[in-house]
Amino acid sequence: MSHSVVYSATVTNRPPAIEVTGLCKTYFRAFRRQGSDALRGVDLTVPEGSAFGLIGPNGAGKTTFIKSILGIVQPTAGTVRVLGGSPEDPRIRARIGYLPERLHLPGSWTATAFLATVARLKGLQPEPAAHLKLLERVGLAEAAGRKIGGYSKGMRQRLGLATALLGAPALLILDEPTDGIDPMGRVEVRRILQEEVQRGTTLFLNSHLLAETERVCDRVAILAQGRVVREGRLEELARGAARWQARFAPGADAGALEAAGLQRAETEGLFRIDADGPATLNAALDKARATGALLVELKREGADLEAVLVGTVGVAA
Amino acid sequence: MKPVLGIAAYVLREAASRKFILAFLVGITLVLAVVALSLRIEVIDGALAATRLFGDVIPTSIRAVDVALRPVFKAAAFIVFYGGIVFGIVACSDFAPGLLSPGRIEHLLALPLRRWHLLAGTFLGVMTLALGGTVYGAGGLTLIFGVKTGYWTLGPLIAGVLACVGFAAVYAVMLTTATFVRSAALCAAAGGLFLVGGIIAGFRQQLSRFFEAGLGRNAFEAVTLLLPRLSALAMAAADLAASTPPQIRSLGLLLVGVFVFGLGALVVGFWRFEGKDY
Repeated sequence: MSHSVVYSATVTNRPPAIEVTGLCKTYFRAFRRQGSDALRGVDLTVPEGSAFGLIGPNGAGKTTFIKSILGIVQPTAGTVRVLGGSPEDPRIRARIGYLPERLHLPGSWTATAFLATVARLKGLQPEPAAHLKLLERVGLAEAAGRKIGGYSKGMRQRLGLATALLGAPALLILDEPTDGIDPMGRVEVRRILQEEVQRGTTLFLNSHLLAETERVCDRVAILAQGRVVREGRLEELARGAARWQARFAPGADAGALEAAGLQRAETEGLFRIDADGPATLNAALDKARATGALLVELKREGADLEAVLVGTVGVAA
Repeated sequence: MKPVLGIAAYVLREAASRKFILAFLVGITLVLAVVALSLRIEVIDGALAATRLFGDVIPTSIRAVDVALRPVFKAAAFIVFYGGIVFGIVACSDFAPGLLSPGRIEHLLALPLRRWHLLAGTFLGVMTLALGGTVYGAGGLTLIFGVKTGYWTLGPLIAGVLACVGFAAVYAVMLTTATFVRSAALCAAAGGLFLVGGIIAGFRQQLSRFFEAGLGRNAFEAVTLLLPRLSALAMAAADLAASTPPQIRSLGLLLVGVFVFGLGALVVGFWRFEGKDY
């Protein structure tokens, strides 16, 4: 969360990296009249240079949304603009780095051969030294000459990330990038992603690891039942209602404090104050202090991303 | 064109890592080596005087070399044609389904490529593989017999190229099948089915007599009319390999028919692939 402020400062007054309006996707199966709606009118704008997280329960339509913005899935309705153009345009796709959820890698190839092939397909000149440096960056330098078939799940994921980073893309779309990576590896991946965002890359992250999203992203959208149910800066979402926690020194008159409008919490001496602004908060504190209670601690009651997701999806359902 | 070549190179690299394709190439090399080392041919004044295989004399009458080699080249042409297509069906059945498999197709479609590049590149890669194998086998055979007899002909090579044309039509069906179902088994089955259909189509006039006149015969003739006449192409390839005049009326027309069929199958595949979600 501490990084979010830094990122958001770079976001202002830039054209969006991703702009989606009224996006609908219905999958039809053979011999069935009715299709199943994966996306039901998604409106979403991802500012350029931001680190954007997409979260939601299973089946919410996250992967379909990602595939739609890459042109892998063709929308039933709505418009998609990525980096100012159509995702169908190869010139636009050349500026995107993508890591799919389950990247299938050719087991009999070496990592360097795979990177060289993808570089060629991306229209880049294969540069063995640069590829080696990239593999070093994702922690695969020692395994560069080994066949991918012998890689662990985490190593494959790292190679997938290196592939997405090829050619310094303007937009990184990562679907579960830390899946299968050990905790130390996650820290490294997070560091790489943060470096990329600081470099000016727009990051679009879909991860079921909410702590990961919370640490890397500054903006989050919650997708549920094919719709964006909440979207905004992480602090705004996490803030929830304007609620504060006040702890008073032992001996405070709980009854008097309750009479002054404070709500008693589970712990002794701890009270909650609902205040939508500094004036209301200070007025409530003045009333509390007037009862003789001594304030020892005051903090904003925030919710973590998990609580925000559960609360939002619960409401949406 | 560059992305198509890139995908073709991707397919060829994938093929190079397949053990059974390498085994096939080793097999061809071994057969050629055995023929080269075990066969001894004595030619006097352009006539085949004596032939020894593994040291044993093969009883033959003295004939001109080109006449004596006709059955050999004819048999080789049939082996290359049908054997090559059957091996191609089995060995290449999973290239397209593999490329379209989950986790790989999403990655490829997110690269700066047009969708048709993927199919065209896969087709080109597989056909390069088929042509390479055919030229290696048929060329090797031509070289061995050329060196041993002094009789040089392009017949077996041309026959090999015709086998590749036949395989192109069959592989077009397999590639199109892969855009509907990502199954190597079903792609191979579709290829096998069209190979059999193509063999039947080559004998359609002779076979139609076995059907009673009326709906059955008309239906048979209508269905086989649409199929590439692969057996007729095989016979033409054998005739060319043996440097004898082709028995068919027009090789050009036959090739056009096979080409149109293959192109039609590919167009259906491209159309399907363009509109498909992965």
